[in-house]
Amino acid sequence: MPIDVHFLARLFPALLEGAEVTVELAVLTMAICVVWGLVVALGQATRGPLGWAAGAYIQIVRNTPLLIQMYIVYFGLSLVGVPLSGFASGLLALCLQNGGYVAEIYRGGLQSVSARQYEAGRALGMRRWTLYRSVILPQVIARVIPPLANQGISITKDTSQVAAIAVMEIMKVAQVWVESSANTYDVFLAVGLIYLVLTSVISVGARVAERQLAFVS
Amino acid sequence: MNAESSLATDVTSPRPMLDMSGIVKRFGANEVLRGVSLQVARGETVVVIGPSGSGKTTLLRCVNLLEDYQQGTVAVDGEPVGYVMDRGGQRQRMAEREIAAAREKIGIVFQSYNLFPHMTVLQNIVAAPIRVRGIPRPKAEQRARDLLAMVGLSEKADAYPARLSGGQQQRVAIARALAMDPKIMLFDEVTSALDPELVGEVLAAMQQLARDGMTMIVVTHEMSFARDVADRVVFMDGGVIVEQGAPEEMFASPRTDRVRQFLKRYNDRYRI
Amino acid sequence: MKTFAPLLHSYWYLFRGAGMTVLMATTAVVPATLLGALLALAQIFGSRATRSAIVGYIFIIRGIPLLVLLTFVYYLLPLTGVDLPPFWGVVLVLACYYAAFMSEAFRAGILSLPQAQWDAAKSLGMSRRLMLRIVIFPQALRLAAPPFINLCINLIKATSLVSIVGLWELTMASREVVERTLAPFQIFLAAAAMYFCICYALALYGKYLERRVLVGH
Repeated sequence: MPIDVHFLARLFPALLEGAEVTVELAVLTMAICVVWGLVVALGQATRGPLGWAAGAYIQIVRNTPLLIQMYIVYFGLSLVGVPLSGFASGLLALCLQNGGYVAEIYRGGLQSVSARQYEAGRALGMRRWTLYRSVILPQVIARVIPPLANQGISITKDTSQVAAIAVMEIMKVAQVWVESSANTYDVFLAVGLIYLVLTSVISVGARVAERQLAFVS
Repeated sequence: MNAESSLATDVTSPRPMLDMSGIVKRFGANEVLRGVSLQVARGETVVVIGPSGSGKTTLLRCVNLLEDYQQGTVAVDGEPVGYVMDRGGQRQRMAEREIAAAREKIGIVFQSYNLFPHMTVLQNIVAAPIRVRGIPRPKAEQRARDLLAMVGLSEKADAYPARLSGGQQQRVAIARALAMDPKIMLFDEVTSALDPELVGEVLAAMQQLARDGMTMIVVTHEMSFARDVADRVVFMDGGVIVEQGAPEEMFASPRTDRVRQFLKRYNDRYRI
Repeated sequence: MKTFAPLLHSYWYLFRGAGMTVLMATTAVVPATLLGALLALAQIFGSRATRSAIVGYIFIIRGIPLLVLLTFVYYLLPLTGVDLPPFWGVVLVLACYYAAFMSEAFRAGILSLPQAQWDAAKSLGMSRRLMLRIVIFPQALRLAAPPFINLCINLIKATSLVSIVGLWELTMASREVVERTLAPFQIFLAAAAMYFCICYALALYGKYLERRVLVGH
């Protein structure tokens, strides 16, 4: 199958415009989830109704499809008087779903620090905040970076689903171009390449960060 | 208080450095400490021996409240740790802030070293002095280097724990505890996890410390250390202190059958 | 907020959609598992060329959204003249996609066994085949079971994407009902509840497996 260079020259600028929306969505989702996930994880660590609610939240978002969550937010909220744009609905649904996953990552990181580390800190007279800041969190951060990077890749790929609520990111742009031309192969090759570049950037970035923070040889 | 004074022996004061009285500790229905009282004088080295499960490690962990206990009190240098008696004779738990402050005075070295893996040797030692006691970094680092020299690890200051042998890690752990200028040092089977050829270097550092006048409680299976370094040997079994005395007396002529049997089993195994 | 009356007339339709979702997911999970196992073994024991081919395959799959691949096949199938029903087309894509992730889970399970287990088996004079069969695989499968269950949950959720390329299952069914009844909130919530029941049941089973793994070690 020959590649039509002229077609690609017209296609790429359009796709890159879509990619900009994709990157915006992905970066915003990641930034919000890094904080929101921590809030949920800390909430889940408490006893009582808050811990129960955080646990229920995690189970619900992890066990229902992102697409359905997006439909509920996009179509459902507008009906009850809270109309959100496609972009805002997509962002909200992405954050809801991935916040649950990120919370689980933090929880795993906290659990992976041995109880002996807490003991050693307490024996040196450290109080809770000092203990967390200088002993526990640095170890947790080093351990959660690889799974967080995986989640970032997954978020970037998940943004393609907002095409279903008419947000003009790469996927939607691609659909428009495929329907209006016959160059299916070229369009999908280009789209695939752009996604591979975006996700690779995250992988490489995470590997650099991991090396910076590595302490166990 | 300057750095050296805490190591010096103050024989003029009659008050014991550590005063534990009537400690009762239960895990559920299982009573592991059944009313243990122990006084340790200033500069004294007490070695605690006994079969496994006798409660000796638990007793040590009760001193700085890593293990909570149901009855009894602990005081270090006259200051209560963990619980105080109110006017009505009821035990009241101290606030977390006060407990943390009390722990500063008590150094502990664990069987499994428990160094912080994300910090270098030097950072491990200065972390608590800087962040807990507010000592300026240059002063804390100078003190840390002195302590590293004392345990013979000056050249490892910038290494990460994972790069060190078990014996080296354990000596760093000793230096880390000493950096808080504790009034008393607790050693919890610190050589049990080490390869035999590394045990000597750690015991040598502890012996030096005892000679310098540190008040120490050492839980160990190293009978030669008990014989050579201890001022007093305490034998525990079944959650109580069965017998205590000077090491030469206890090893030569134990007063109770249980100690005799324990030492016989030990001698049969190690042929010393 | 309207009542849940629209639901009473359409719940049977949604149930049938859920049945289709389960059918599609189970049909895809079998080849995904087999291919995943094959890829994991080939990556551990295969030649250098095989290994790099598999690494490349996993890199591409991990970096491109499933929706892109599904859409690609949707547009491509008619062009190639291959007479494959759309159902089997999406099952094929789901299987190839999840095989990559499953191979990573299986490989991690095998590689996380301590070297001592291999040494012990070798020292008993076992052939490689025997050693894998009675020493390595039984342990590796137990380690890989929890992540495998998570991937199955993800696969079930991912079947919702086929509605975007026009296939009928639970998400498509709920969209049809919404168009008829104009009650998106109730209907999509009901669909979400059905997904939740299916996925959470699996998640509970996964937790049970995980506990058994932990007890074994």
